[in-house]
Amino acid sequence: MASIIKIDPLTRIEGHLAIKATVDDVDGEQQVVDARSSGTMFRGFEMILKGRDPLDAPHYTQRICGVCPISHGMASCLNLESALGADVPANGRILRNLVLGANFLMSHVLHFYHLAALDFINTSGVIDIAPWVPRYVTGDMVAGSTASALVGHYVQALAIRRKAHQMAAIFGGKLPCAPSFVPGGCTEVVAQDKIDNFRELLAEQRTFIDETYIPDVLTVAGAFPAYFSIGVGCGNLLAYGVFDMDNSDENKLLYRGRYTDGDAAEVDPEKIMEYLKYSRYDDAGSGLNPADGVTQPQLNKENAYSWLKAPRYNNIVHEVGPLARMAVNYLSNDPTTIGLIESVLGANPDISVLFSVLGRHAARALEAKLVVDAMEGWLDELDVNAPAYVESDIPKTASGIGLTEAPRGALGHWIDISNHRIDRYQVITPTNWNASPKDDLEQMGPIEQALVGTPVTDIGQPVEILRVVHSFDPCLACSVHMVRPGKTEPEMVVYTRPSI
Amino acid sequence: MKITRRDFLKASAAITGALTLKASGLMQLQQAMAGGGGAPPVIWLQGQGCTGCSVSLLNSVYYTTIDDLLINKLDVKYHPTVMAAAGEMAVEAAEDARDAGGYVLVIEGAVPLGENGHYCHVWEDEGGNPVTMQQAVQTFAPNAIAILAIGTCACYGGMSAGEPNPTEAMGVDDTLAYLGLEATVINIPGCPAHPDWIVGTVAALLAVLAGEGEMPELDEYGRPKDFYGSCVHDKCPNRAFGRTARTLGEAGCLAGLGCRGQQTHADCPIRQWNSAAQSEMGVNWCVGSRNPCQGCTEPDFPDGMSPFYNLGGRTGDKQHNRNGKV
Repeated sequence: MASIIKIDPLTRIEGHLAIKATVDDVDGEQQVVDARSSGTMFRGFEMILKGRDPLDAPHYTQRICGVCPISHGMASCLNLESALGADVPANGRILRNLVLGANFLMSHVLHFYHLAALDFINTSGVIDIAPWVPRYVTGDMVAGSTASALVGHYVQALAIRRKAHQMAAIFGGKLPCAPSFVPGGCTEVVAQDKIDNFRELLAEQRTFIDETYIPDVLTVAGAFPAYFSIGVGCGNLLAYGVFDMDNSDENKLLYRGRYTDGDAAEVDPEKIMEYLKYSRYDDAGSGLNPADGVTQPQLNKENAYSWLKAPRYNNIVHEVGPLARMAVNYLSNDPTTIGLIESVLGANPDISVLFSVLGRHAARALEAKLVVDAMEGWLDELDVNAPAYVESDIPKTASGIGLTEAPRGALGHWIDISNHRIDRYQVITPTNWNASPKDDLEQMGPIEQALVGTPVTDIGQPVEILRVVHSFDPCLACSVHMVRPGKTEPEMVVYTRPSI
Repeated sequence: MKITRRDFLKASAAITGALTLKASGLMQLQQAMAGGGGAPPVIWLQGQGCTGCSVSLLNSVYYTTIDDLLINKLDVKYHPTVMAAAGEMAVEAAEDARDAGGYVLVIEGAVPLGENGHYCHVWEDEGGNPVTMQQAVQTFAPNAIAILAIGTCACYGGMSAGEPNPTEAMGVDDTLAYLGLEATVINIPGCPAHPDWIVGTVAALLAVLAGEGEMPELDEYGRPKDFYGSCVHDKCPNRAFGRTARTLGEAGCLAGLGCRGQQTHADCPIRQWNSAAQSEMGVNWCVGSRNPCQGCTEPDFPDGMSPFYNLGGRTGDKQHNRNGKV
């Protein structure tokens, strides 16, 4: 007999997420067969931006997300620079990369230790006070000395992520939300004492990633081998790429590319469409490229269950995030990425194991290493005698596009400028992709697909569902709906109960 | 290095004035502290926001670090970003703490009143009905011993209430008035709020409860004067510098480029942001990065404070109205 598990709120993410999963017996195993989860918050940022000064966009959009504001700042600056035709000085490009890189490190460490790790650790007897109680305790969680060590690293990681923000503030001005990010570069200047301070902090980040973060991910992987085949997802990957190595938009530390139906391919932004059939917006805007997109909320629209739109590439569902980025780099024969992945999976690895809960955690940790190692070199490229910012005119009419990556995946901003003001501003966040509802073609989103088939041992403690959802590092309100064809409606409703 | 509880309280010794704690809840809170290792219960609700103020709080170090706060100083019963529990287990933790009374209620993010509050659901009740942020404020405010609104969204609506305010978002003060509830809210604005403003105010509250300090004095917008008592411009190091910046990234006063330091109350020039260690000033700040102050601690942020730049012809035209719209 099928049962429904409700998890509302789904905690340890950014934003408001609720999940209802139906579990049933499939070939003798209790599995998720059907679920619905709803994103439950709407602000209307795109409506708020309309009519404002384009120069304000990087500062408004950074307030979309307090975990990845720098990525929004970057996307917004790139967006405006494409509209303005601004040619950013090398120092400006590098300073912004350094601030964004620091925030990637902050976010990845925060995600593994403070958002995701508690799904895997039995903290009983290690830390028995709120907010770590009440909690789930299941038989498969790591306990004893391993749990104690991981909780110790949880505390250590709080200081590491704080120092990553301190590092970012040296050139960002402050964190969260960096004032120095402006179209035309970075208002902060290159000075030797700032470079030296940044370098010293960077070394500590690097040591933590090498000696603690990556080994801890491997420890969890060793304890939960089944999670290399749980949470597989849609199997298609999309990355816009990030960390420009020059002004060409061609040469990036993390490449632009995709992996669709088993083949690597290029990305054409024109092929991105947003569908609204199951989203709480007027259907008139469905199926449009974001350059033409509209955001008109419709709270009580029939069958709509999400405040997220459903973006698709060429009408095909794609996952975004560290897994997508590392896979695209690997398939593009980036030697550093190949070395990192082979250091974990061995020579000539079967990268299909990366399509999993643990694969996403491993990709995130290896990406942190790739980024922290590269940042050292960027510091060497800074020129203390050169500017980091160039002025440019706001044209009366122009359009722009800014594609970059947030720690949790591909992020795009689109702008139309009319009469020197923002006429249209559209944003597609990574969680729009990963937690998207069904589209007009009835295709489920990546998290939906990853959840179907997930075994659930104890419906009163559905940690397996948390592990799958958390592996995507959802950010902002998000919503999931999934259906396993042929299954009947649930007959019994069970609410999760405190175990402690 | 960890500081002792006593040191922590001393850090706020300068705070003077009158804060309105409810006498009836005071005893409950003191009892809770006596019985729970001395840490007051905290319920932290998130409305329409970006979690940036929670992330900012994680950066705390000047008074003490976040791990010390969570482990030794506070008893955080509900915080959706950090708590182990999810779903109904989490909701029950919040409701149990509410029913016990004597807690500090922290609200991050704005409260949308449009569509009867349905632009923001915080959780689902046992009957399967969504609970709106508006309803959560309505049920959690009355039993709170003190209410802290953290960040400009929670204080005054902030970004979430930017024109045309599509969801009719409001700050906590206005929401309580709308609901007909009487309670004093301590506003700690900022986009995001500085961790020291949050922790310093919490320390002041703890000091009051321990009988070791005075109530913090609030200004007309409900902000503790210790942190928001002077204008950014008054203490700005650029004033002593004696020159005017002609463009972004130049050294000098940014007033001509759109800086809101003369209208903005905060101690950013002195305190600065992202401190490296206890009792150390921060490593940088908005104006320090040669960018204008955006006025993020003021009640009319962002509409009254933008456009953020005044770069002459560079912005296309200068005919901005108050909301930065044509």
